[in-house]
Amino acid sequence: MTGTGRYIAWRVASMLVTVFIGAAAVFFAMKAAPGDPALSVLGESATPEAVAEFRSRHNLDAPLPLQFWTWLAAALQGDFGLSLTVAGGRRISDLILQRLPNTVFIGLFAVAMAVLVSLTAGTIAALRRGQLADTLATTLAVVGISMPDFWLSYILVFTLALGLGLFPSFGFTSPLDSFSGALYSGFLPAAAVAAPMAAVFSRTLRAALLDQLHREHVFAARSFGFHPLAIFVHGVFRNALIPYVTVIGLQIRYILGGVVVIERIFGIPGLGSLMVDAAFARDYPVVQACAIVFLVIVLSVNLAVDLVCTSLDPRRSR
Amino acid sequence: MGRFGWRALLRNRTALTGTVITSFVLLAIVIGAELMPYSATDMDFINILAPPSLEHPFGTDSFGRDVLTRVLFGGRISFLVSGAGIALGGTIGVTTGLLAAWYGGASDTVLMRIVDLLFAFPSFVLALFLMVVLGFGVPNVMIAIALVYFPLFARLTRNTALLVKEEPYVQAARLMGQPTRRILFLEILPNIGAPILVQASVGVAFGVVIEAGLSFLGLGVQPPTPSLGVIMADGREYFQRSPWVLTLSGLFISIALLGLNLLGDGIRDLTDPRLRERLAT
Repeated sequence: MTGTGRYIAWRVASMLVTVFIGAAAVFFAMKAAPGDPALSVLGESATPEAVAEFRSRHNLDAPLPLQFWTWLAAALQGDFGLSLTVAGGRRISDLILQRLPNTVFIGLFAVAMAVLVSLTAGTIAALRRGQLADTLATTLAVVGISMPDFWLSYILVFTLALGLGLFPSFGFTSPLDSFSGALYSGFLPAAAVAAPMAAVFSRTLRAALLDQLHREHVFAARSFGFHPLAIFVHGVFRNALIPYVTVIGLQIRYILGGVVVIERIFGIPGLGSLMVDAAFARDYPVVQACAIVFLVIVLSVNLAVDLVCTSLDPRRSR
Repeated sequence: MGRFGWRALLRNRTALTGTVITSFVLLAIVIGAELMPYSATDMDFINILAPPSLEHPFGTDSFGRDVLTRVLFGGRISFLVSGAGIALGGTIGVTTGLLAAWYGGASDTVLMRIVDLLFAFPSFVLALFLMVVLGFGVPNVMIAIALVYFPLFARLTRNTALLVKEEPYVQAARLMGQPTRRILFLEILPNIGAPILVQASVGVAFGVVIEAGLSFLGLGVQPPTPSLGVIMADGREYFQRSPWVLTLSGLFISIALLGLNLLGDGIRDLTDPRLRERLAT
């Protein structure tokens, strides 16, 4: 096997171990949560027979480790069991499959916006360092990270949706039904999530570009008389991309966290609003399944980011 | 703070702005709240949803409560919850990070894997999950903030302590037979204090956002206790009829966060030796 192949195999294996440990941690933590799921579904006045029947149906009588193995074996086949309260009796895997595309869409939309804005703003700020454009971009970036997404979303709704009537203030069209409809109805939610991220990304790109601009290889390339644009693209930008992409990967957990809040505000039927609803309804199996799906998403993104960085800087895999 | 002193802090424009805003916010929520002539929770049904005026600079909410008073008391709770959460998370994180760096080996590996695992959950998902496991309410929001943020402290402390560990003065202290605990907290910690301080400043801002987000959704601090998130959630209910409740409490939160972020940035500028070199050239 080549070095890169072995590296990828090793990374995938360690990701699977993390998912396993994470799933175990989530499962056992959930068991320690207050309240009896049987009573929360059947009501406090449930008969002991009904409670016993419920417990045996949901496999709550078995010893904990055994419960975990049964649950894990089913989860590996994509079966997370049945929802208790939030969508009573429906299969959790169906709920997740139905809602996942919306969450992934908003997340990707937000990342795309943040990348687009930060590539422009970060580059301009680095090249015009100390000038008005830099000060403006840097100031906006600090203001950007000081705006919690749920608060920003209301400003956007108030100005762009209610004030100017440009976008809908509530509701969402699934990208599976109409892609353009999803872009339109998802614009404000994605923008609210993207704004603080754009700020963080631009700061990173600016710092990384500035760090590279004064390196010796850039100086050498300039003295050879290479075209400034070629020096910037090959000598500066490519190297600056490594910290930039790494930060995007690190911020994925904040982006998805933001999506959870935003989905609820804009009434987007996604994984995040499912988890919030389930948290209110104390639907433990659903909360548990959502947490693990989010874990898998973050780990997959981190893996992808690592592979991108390795291809940008092959020294890493050695 | 010792390395660059207060004078340097005041000369750096970012740090100065951050210090001024943060002090102003702290003064307002600690002393200003006490000076307000209204109660944060008593209702006044004659003055419901009154727009901002001289008597009520932020207007009143749907129970006739003065919004400015509620924002100040709410800010106090938000900052207390966040500050206590970060202090707790920071203490656990710094201690474990120091121990991991010092002892290395298996304990280091296990600890860093736990940190990696916590890092792999979206921050807000982890907070939400912890609220379900622990139950809603003020102390649990604090614990959730601590658990969400402690991995950051642990990783930062470990990585910086690993660098300092090999320095001559640490080796000298070791040869002199100083106890490990003394070396960790009196030799290593003061020398890696600056990045931890930056992280703490940014962390309090982050904690306020987590608290506000949880409470905004109704999963954090429970009404009638005011917190910035609870007030904003109230304001959302009658957002179109009286937008000032949400807008002004949101502005307050943004100003408070701006102060903390600028303060963190300023301290970073002043203490990062690489940055200092670059600024000097």
